[in-house]
Amino acid sequence: MQTLIAATLNGLFMGSLYGLIAVGLSLVFGVMKIINFAHGALVMVGMYAVFYMWSLIGLDPYLSLVVVVPVLFLFGYFLQGKVINPVLKREFGRNGHAVILLTVGLTLVLQNAALLFFGAYYKAAKTFVSGMTWDMGGVVTSVPRLIAGVVGAIVILGLQLMLSKTDLGKAIRATGQDREAAGLMGINDYKIYNIAFGLCLAILGIAAALMLPMYYVQPEAGKIFEMRSFVIAVLGGIGSLSGAFYGGLIVGLIESVTAQVWSATAAEMLIFVVFIGVLLYKPSGLLGK
Amino acid sequence: MLKKIGAVTLIGLLTLTGCGSQTGGTNNQGGSSAGVKEVKIGALLPLSGAVAPIGETCKRGQELATEEINAAGGIKSLGGAKLVLDFADSKGDPKVGMSEAERLIMKDKVAVMTGAYQSSVTYPSTQVSEKYKIPYVVPVSVMDDITERGFKYTFRLAPKASWYSRDQVKFAKEMGEQTGSVPKRVALVYENSDWGQSSAKGWNKSVPEAGMEIVLDAPYPSSSSDLTPVILKIKQANPDLILFTSYTSDAILLTNGIAEQKINAMGMIGQGGGHADPEYLKNVGKNAEYGFDLTEWSPDLGKPGVKETNAKFKQKYGVDMNGEAAESYAAMYVIADALERAGSAEPEKIREALAKTKITSGPGMILPYDSIEFDQSGQNIHASLIMVQVNNGQRSTVWPFNAKNPDYKVVWPAPKWTDRK
Repeated sequence: MQTLIAATLNGLFMGSLYGLIAVGLSLVFGVMKIINFAHGALVMVGMYAVFYMWSLIGLDPYLSLVVVVPVLFLFGYFLQGKVINPVLKREFGRNGHAVILLTVGLTLVLQNAALLFFGAYYKAAKTFVSGMTWDMGGVVTSVPRLIAGVVGAIVILGLQLMLSKTDLGKAIRATGQDREAAGLMGINDYKIYNIAFGLCLAILGIAAALMLPMYYVQPEAGKIFEMRSFVIAVLGGIGSLSGAFYGGLIVGLIESVTAQVWSATAAEMLIFVVFIGVLLYKPSGLLGK
Repeated sequence: MLKKIGAVTLIGLLTLTGCGSQTGGTNNQGGSSAGVKEVKIGALLPLSGAVAPIGETCKRGQELATEEINAAGGIKSLGGAKLVLDFADSKGDPKVGMSEAERLIMKDKVAVMTGAYQSSVTYPSTQVSEKYKIPYVVPVSVMDDITERGFKYTFRLAPKASWYSRDQVKFAKEMGEQTGSVPKRVALVYENSDWGQSSAKGWNKSVPEAGMEIVLDAPYPSSSSDLTPVILKIKQANPDLILFTSYTSDAILLTNGIAEQKINAMGMIGQGGGHADPEYLKNVGKNAEYGFDLTEWSPDLGKPGVKETNAKFKQKYGVDMNGEAAESYAAMYVIADALERAGSAEPEKIREALAKTKITSGPGMILPYDSIEFDQSGQNIHASLIMVQVNNGQRSTVWPFNAKNPDYKVVWPAPKWTDRK
């Protein structure tokens, strides 16, 4: 029983973290209608940023957010502005396959650059919370996972408030709903794209800082999270932030609990069975329109 | 044009084989012992391509042994004949390996073959030497099938792949007998591709045979983002012994998670792969302490000659010997021993001598085995692996007991997590 509670908690925490990563993917799709295949590579970039802040300057991963988040926001802003937008503009009115290929290319560039400069080695940050546990009457919970789960949920909630209450948030949503109409209302759509991509990177920076105390970084470290993100974003309804959050929780719970009552291999299968089941029943995803 | 050359070579080859059968093998370095000045040994190795560094390591082991044997007066029963290594590059490719083996045998007329590091190359190239009845000594390749085809000319020094799972259990059983802390409940934790699954097949046989009970069978995908679910499952099973087959990232996640959940087992035993990766020790740090890993060889092995040979090797090449180098080195001594007893450089006589090999001491015995002796299939029946334990970030040999590091005392059962500093 205690293990089952521990597994459920672990599933919720990891699920919230998966949700946070998937939110970035969902946001980019919701606004720009781009499927970003570089998402996993960008998670990896965030992790290296956090890791080197820790190993070179000695900044704790959680504290490094103060630096990493603005830097990654700017990186995303300019990546969109200088690399993705020009292709988007040329592709305007066509199917947009070139942008998808562009994100695939970006993945290869980032991964191989990481391989070249940082090597294929596994790097992990040892912080004061690494390996720390919280024992509640036999239910042992990992503290970094607890922090990741709680902070992940708060960030998603904050982002949603920002999108629904602030002017900028409304402009982002308007652009996502109808780009031309938003343009007619005086919204600079390409600038909104830049901001949305910057936001996605900032979110990934937060996720990276939450992961590093319990995980390692390596040029391919983002791959698994990318795979999870695609499933979660589509499961929850691509473009929907709360959908991504709930999707994350569902995947996290299946992963953690199935392994207890069955096996880890079965969990991997079951995630996709549920995924296919939801798509058959509701093709737009749980909360998709 | 090309066709013509092919035809000419073919005719050439046919004539050569014809000669061979007519003169009854005397062209193979001479059948009579009197005229033999040197014995050619074909060494097939991946000397270029992705695995070239390991091929080079094997080559170094062979060269060092050959130099020693020649310096000590060569093969005395052959009037001091010297060993000559004839290297061929397999490029790590089975097809190239086969044609190079053919070339070594047919053109260079080697008396014995050795190699080829990769099982995938050894497997077909031993087939070539079987065809031409040339003895082939395999120092490293572990694939079970290599000595399971009823071949007469293939002799393998190394243990079989399936013996890894066997020796993990054997070690735990012997530790229990020695210390009184007998493990009963066993958890099997392995990555779910063919490596892990073949280990599990082995464990399912060896664990019950050792009188232990499998309380958990937990395969997992090695590319998991989170292994906490598997770790919680181990915790619930409450095993005395945890056996792993893991790659690097999963070994890191599992070890850290087991420390977090404070799962107290008497022993946790890996079998190379991730547990042997230097990155593993670097990333898990203290959590790896008291863990075990099954491996082929270690420079701290407590056997006579290991220290001296390793020092010689290091002086010559600047690095420590490893398992591949040590096995390749020992294989040359096995060949020299057979030549000595055969008193001839004729492949058939060498084969007969190899089949009767029984080496228990001498410079070649830097391997952890008690002795080298081949069974009907050509497998060294005494081949075994060694167990190392991590302590203070160092890997020290603890098993087999007669080959352990004399300066290190094994810790069994591992101290409880709460008692560790």
